[in-house]
Amino acid sequence: MGGTTTILIFFTAMVALLGLFTSMRPEFTAARGGKIMAFVALCILPVLSVWAGFHEQVERSTSTQFCLSCHVMSSFGKSLTVDDKSFIPAAHFQNNFVPRDHACFTCHTDYTMFGDYKAKWRGVHHVIVQYFGKIPKPEDIKLYTPYNNRECLHCHAGARSYEEASSHHKTPDMLAKAASNQLSCTSSGCHDIVHNVGDLGDATFWTPKADPQ
Amino acid sequence: MTQRLIERRIRWSGRLTAAGLIVQMLTLLATHPLAFICFAMVGCPLVGAGILVFLYSLVEHQAV
Repeated sequence: MGGTTTILIFFTAMVALLGLFTSMRPEFTAARGGKIMAFVALCILPVLSVWAGFHEQVERSTSTQFCLSCHVMSSFGKSLTVDDKSFIPAAHFQNNFVPRDHACFTCHTDYTMFGDYKAKWRGVHHVIVQYFGKIPKPEDIKLYTPYNNRECLHCHAGARSYEEASSHHKTPDMLAKAASNQLSCTSSGCHDIVHNVGDLGDATFWTPKADPQ
Repeated sequence: MTQRLIERRIRWSGRLTAAGLIVQMLTLLATHPLAFICFAMVGCPLVGAGILVFLYSLVEHQAV
């Protein structure tokens, strides 16, 4: 547990205790000072606490640990450590092209609560299915909409390795088509080995070295 | 009579707010989608209800 979380838990506990105290001794609000204190204890501090808690929860929901905490996602997490650089997520994860602790949301930026209202509802639906529904097989899980090149281009656009790669100039308008999402990076026969969780049975896996710190 | 009513409402407001904050505190102990859902769908509404009850008690007290 990080220092920020500890401070936040302590702060929330203090505000909750203050709320309880106010509920046990409401008669002190008869005085002007008591009213001000009650306003701080039951209005200002709880709002601050909720705001800080919400910020912390949103930050956590972008972590790889959060995404992989549902059992059905474990195969997708495993696909990040496949010892085969043709697996796009594995190559990105193992070479630090994406931050490992926020790997999922770096490439799926419009997922669940960070997308539109439909995406937010799907996020809630996933949790409901996890506990009360029929959980699909990992290989049956598909994206709701085709993968958007925007997710690739927010890092690769402008990079020399991307702009000058001969494979990206097979046709003169290839880069323009990729930029306008007319030509998919992942489903046009080029970078089409993505998580492929159905093919992990015979795969070998890379184990990250322990953090020297 | 009015003072007793406002005190009763403040008592409820404090209980609701404290309950919501305790739920929020517990959800901070785990990094899990269920913790997030509990935070958003249980903790936040409880705190919100506590604040609303408190503000209502003030407004009604002023009106009387």
